[in-house]
Amino acid sequence: MKYDFAVIGAGPAGYIAAKKAASAGKKVLLVEKSKLGGVCLNEGCVPSKTLLQAAKTYHHAKHGSIFGVESEGVTFNYPKAHEHKNNVMNKMRDGIAGLMKKYKVDVIEGEANLLPNSQVEISGEIHEATDILLCTGSSPAIPPIPGVELDHVVDSTGILERESLPKHLVVVGGGVIGCEFACMHASVGVPVTVLEAMPEICPNLDSEVSASLREGLTKKGVTFKLGAKVESISSDNVTYSDESGSNELEADLVLVATGRRPNVKNLGLEDLGLDIDDRGGVRVDARGATNIPGLWAAGDVTGQAWLAHAASRMAEVVVNNITGRKDHMRYDSMPAVVYTSPEVAVVGLTKEEAEERGIKVKVGRIPMAINARYIAENPDETGFCKVVLEADTRKLLGVHMVGGACSEMIFGATAMLETELREEEIEEIVFPHPTTSEIIKDVFMAVR
Amino acid sequence: MPRQGQSVESCILTEWKVKPGDSVSEGDVLAVIETDKASFDLESTASGTVLELFWEADDDVPVLANVLAIGEEGENVDEFRPDNGAPPSPEPTSSSGDQAVSQSPVTDAQTAPDSSPPQVVANEITAGGVSAGVSPRARKLAFRHGLDPETLEGSGPNGRVIERDIEAVISGRPRLSASAVNQARKGMEPPVRGKGLAGMALASDMREPGAIEGAKVESVKGIRKLVAERMIQSLQTSAQLTLNAHFELSAAQAYRKERVDGGKSKVSINDLIAYAQIQALSAHPELNAHFLGDRFAVFEKVHLGIAVDSPRGLMVPVVKDASDLSLEALSAEIKKLAIACREGTIQPDDLSGGSCTLTNLGMLGVSTFTPVLNVPEVAILGVGGIELKPKRTEAGDIEYAEFLPLSLTIDHQAVDGAPAARFLQTLVSLLEENPGQPLSINKE
Repeated sequence: MKYDFAVIGAGPAGYIAAKKAASAGKKVLLVEKSKLGGVCLNEGCVPSKTLLQAAKTYHHAKHGSIFGVESEGVTFNYPKAHEHKNNVMNKMRDGIAGLMKKYKVDVIEGEANLLPNSQVEISGEIHEATDILLCTGSSPAIPPIPGVELDHVVDSTGILERESLPKHLVVVGGGVIGCEFACMHASVGVPVTVLEAMPEICPNLDSEVSASLREGLTKKGVTFKLGAKVESISSDNVTYSDESGSNELEADLVLVATGRRPNVKNLGLEDLGLDIDDRGGVRVDARGATNIPGLWAAGDVTGQAWLAHAASRMAEVVVNNITGRKDHMRYDSMPAVVYTSPEVAVVGLTKEEAEERGIKVKVGRIPMAINARYIAENPDETGFCKVVLEADTRKLLGVHMVGGACSEMIFGATAMLETELREEEIEEIVFPHPTTSEIIKDVFMAVR
Repeated sequence: MPRQGQSVESCILTEWKVKPGDSVSEGDVLAVIETDKASFDLESTASGTVLELFWEADDDVPVLANVLAIGEEGENVDEFRPDNGAPPSPEPTSSSGDQAVSQSPVTDAQTAPDSSPPQVVANEITAGGVSAGVSPRARKLAFRHGLDPETLEGSGPNGRVIERDIEAVISGRPRLSASAVNQARKGMEPPVRGKGLAGMALASDMREPGAIEGAKVESVKGIRKLVAERMIQSLQTSAQLTLNAHFELSAAQAYRKERVDGGKSKVSINDLIAYAQIQALSAHPELNAHFLGDRFAVFEKVHLGIAVDSPRGLMVPVVKDASDLSLEALSAEIKKLAIACREGTIQPDDLSGGSCTLTNLGMLGVSTFTPVLNVPEVAILGVGGIELKPKRTEAGDIEYAEFLPLSLTIDHQAVDGAPAARFLQTLVSLLEENPGQPLSINKE
């Protein structure tokens, strides 16, 4: 068959691109080797957030006494939580399938092999497309630790498939994925230890944010070992070394969450001469174009951002460029969230990043505890909001938050960054009272 | 303003390096100035605080006029102002009412004694924002979009700027972010399409007027401006023709070695070529000339211009009376002038008065090139890089030897190809047979 646009991979880049291109009148092919929705829907964002909500609900039920809600005999039925998770995923997958049908996107299940001259081979059949979008996502990167192959050692995909809770969970890697699973398990009473090789968890975040998240999760019952290098895993122990020497931890489940790597193998990319960068991602320009005319890439396969919403945006950018509308990525206003309790939500530059670029900045920081709505709803949580401004123009450069459900209000900060608002303009925006979002307005009084 | 050479009546002050309030010491660079030949640093002859700049950048300043006042803060500078009615400071007095009004009446009286009262009144009206030329709605809309309505041509009655004039400008540019509007109020302009949301112009997209996407735009000034003017003038006013020839290098190299072995001073191949050029010009005086349209000026002596690559750009210092000099004296003079150009200490009088020019790009890996005439001179000699070429020996065998390419550009208005070729023949034979020797020896 001959298509205008072929999309390889039906994750948050692929199905968004397929829908958008089809609605612009393109004849579109969507190829998926596994399930519609990709890692995000099936092995990542969606199932993990469902389980996190289950854990949060349990936690609230158990710790409601401060609100006068007293309960006894609260239990956590993990298989039930799983069922809910699976229901959500099925619903979302059906939604995508329905969407593809509505927009007349041809969906083929199978493995794609890219051939020269804009051709794609799927199960022996050759299709042709004017433009091809490669969005095959990423897979967990598994470090070569002795014992990593044991049955009770899982990655983020494997842990979501388990239908019972462990007695002792050890998480290798204190990044976003490790922190989210640690939080979920600790919230339902599983002893969790996180081993992080770096001096702080989530090293890509503002250092105060990382430290605050670590303190918040410690309160929830997570133990953190920083500067800890995992040496080996046995059937019931994890051996690691840190400043104090070699130590052992009991564990009947070990989650390895040490990052992800782009899926670039078995796609025929080597023969095409596609440009792959040092970190294994497909090299693209700000429009998502690769070094091969007509071949585009979006999402984790590019090794950039590693976020579902970034993947969707990259896909939109590609489709806009294909359909004649100029567009390009703006990573400086790409929000990022850690869905722990408390949540972390950030967008824009940290103070250090801005200063590295030679920008003179002013920083303001206030605790969430000054906000009425926040302390009413989150009596036992800490957290803060921090803004980074350009010193002379007072233009907003970054917003960094820890606390409550800050993921729901970071889009407001993103809009401010995208339109380059300054303190002067933000002051005139009305925030409803009482809401936690008021913290974004109030933080400016702390700027110095 | 120091006198830069005998013939210079005024200099363009291209760039101020100081501003009022700066403290300067003797020898500090105050400004960059240029004559029609070259540009120079104007150094301070005193130490103290800069009190006032009497000229604006790009003003043509007569020589010996005061350019600025240096003294102690608070000192009165009135008596030092050049008395030719020049503006008292680099601030344009008409652009902003606020600035003009805030100036002391004494200053206003000093600069424009006849018209100062009405001028002040006019400025106050502008400052009040009720200038007759812009409608209030247009003014409001312009402010929101960071536009200066005063700079627009109005389409309303009597050229009044009205709302639709502002709308016309806005419709031709992208939406501006809040920070970009702020930049626009400072006179920056957006590109056709910005890098923000749906093409919104961000602060980082805003450019100085006249900017070019993806390029750093600088105004052409100083030596660059001079070279540009001279080059285009050269190509537009002369009929340039370039003749190429080679000379075998072995004799020149042997001569250099002989000098060193004999304990004499070192000379370069370039010195030997310059010396030979001078000798050959003496034998072919029609190339040692200026073509002035309706007249020729054939020079009695050779005044040899040497193209020098200086940090400020191309400079052509002139060895005066070069035909009177021995090889050693010529070599020393060329070296001295080149160093002065590179260090910025060359005197304006050394940059004019040439009768013919030598330019050498061989050391930069260029094989051959077409020199551009230093008009009104009628000839310029270019030297390229060493080439290995086969040649036939006296015994009739073929062997390789090193050659240097020469390219002679002439003004065909003044000189024909054949005499130019004969000049090149003389030059080549001098360099191949008797390098470093005066012509008289060759004639024998």
